[in-house]
Amino acid sequence: MFRTLFIQTWSWWAGGLGIGLTALGLAWFTGKKLGVTGGFVDACSLIAKESPKGGWKFYFILGLPLGGALATAGHWNWTFLFGQLDALTMGSFLGKFIWLFVGGLFVGYGARWAGGCVSGNSIMGISLGSKMSIVVTVAFLTAGILTAHLIFKLFGVA
Amino acid sequence: MALRKPINSIKKTSRKASTIKRSLPEGAVNPWFMGGFGLLFGFFLSKSQATDFDAMQDMFRLKSVQLWGVIGMAIFIVALGLLIFQWTKKPTLSGKALDWKPLQFHPERILGALVFGVGWALSGACPGTALTQIGEGKLMAIATVGGILAGVWLYRKYPQVEENDEQVC
Repeated sequence: MFRTLFIQTWSWWAGGLGIGLTALGLAWFTGKKLGVTGGFVDACSLIAKESPKGGWKFYFILGLPLGGALATAGHWNWTFLFGQLDALTMGSFLGKFIWLFVGGLFVGYGARWAGGCVSGNSIMGISLGSKMSIVVTVAFLTAGILTAHLIFKLFGVA
Repeated sequence: MALRKPINSIKKTSRKASTIKRSLPEGAVNPWFMGGFGLLFGFFLSKSQATDFDAMQDMFRLKSVQLWGVIGMAIFIVALGLLIFQWTKKPTLSGKALDWKPLQFHPERILGALVFGVGWALSGACPGTALTQIGEGKLMAIATVGGILAGVWLYRKYPQVEENDEQVC
């Protein structure tokens, strides 16, 4: 039980079930739509000293790191390693930092432009049968598949 | 003088907290409750391996079914649950309808989605998993989160789609 909760990762159906039930619980208890990008929008509003539009989303995203810490509590350790990205950038700290920052920049700008990220568009939007969300999700995945194949070809990492 | 300093600093922090509270819209939900849902979401993202750069690349490179299954399962569960809520004629605990509508159709959003997809593959993270990664101790994700904040900030300055529907994820 301890290993399952605080160390090991789960198979796809258990993880997806948990994510789905969390989103459903949020909808049932509060009537709100799960969405992470809105939290970043609220954070920007707070930085600009304006009142945030959603408000609650800012508190929601504050919980995310805590969840990550809890899920890995049994073997928690801080690290600057980042999986295969170390091979892709030949272990350069600055290279990794710029790589991830640029990736994040695309993610942030694109998520707002697309009207939401994976949680808002793909999970909640498709569940409601929104045509826009289905098209957006197909575009997310197409661009992701092409980019990932290109990266690993260009940088010669198998 | 020595006494005054800590009192001032306490005042400052409490003022900050109250501005955040005051700037919340009316009827806002309990911060701890919403933070709890965030915690659960982060926990399950982590358990799903969605916070693993390599797992994300394996999804995009079609090497593993793990994250395809996670996304598919989540959509299935939410769709099924929302249908059941509708059948029971009680879509939420309070009995009110859900607080959101489906996204309106703007073809320009496809371009934004392509930009997002490129970033998703580059960083191996979406906004939710990047924050969760920091909690897992993967400190490089601070760069990703910084980038996302910068991107969202940029969109404030240069928006692309008219937001007449206020339901933005």
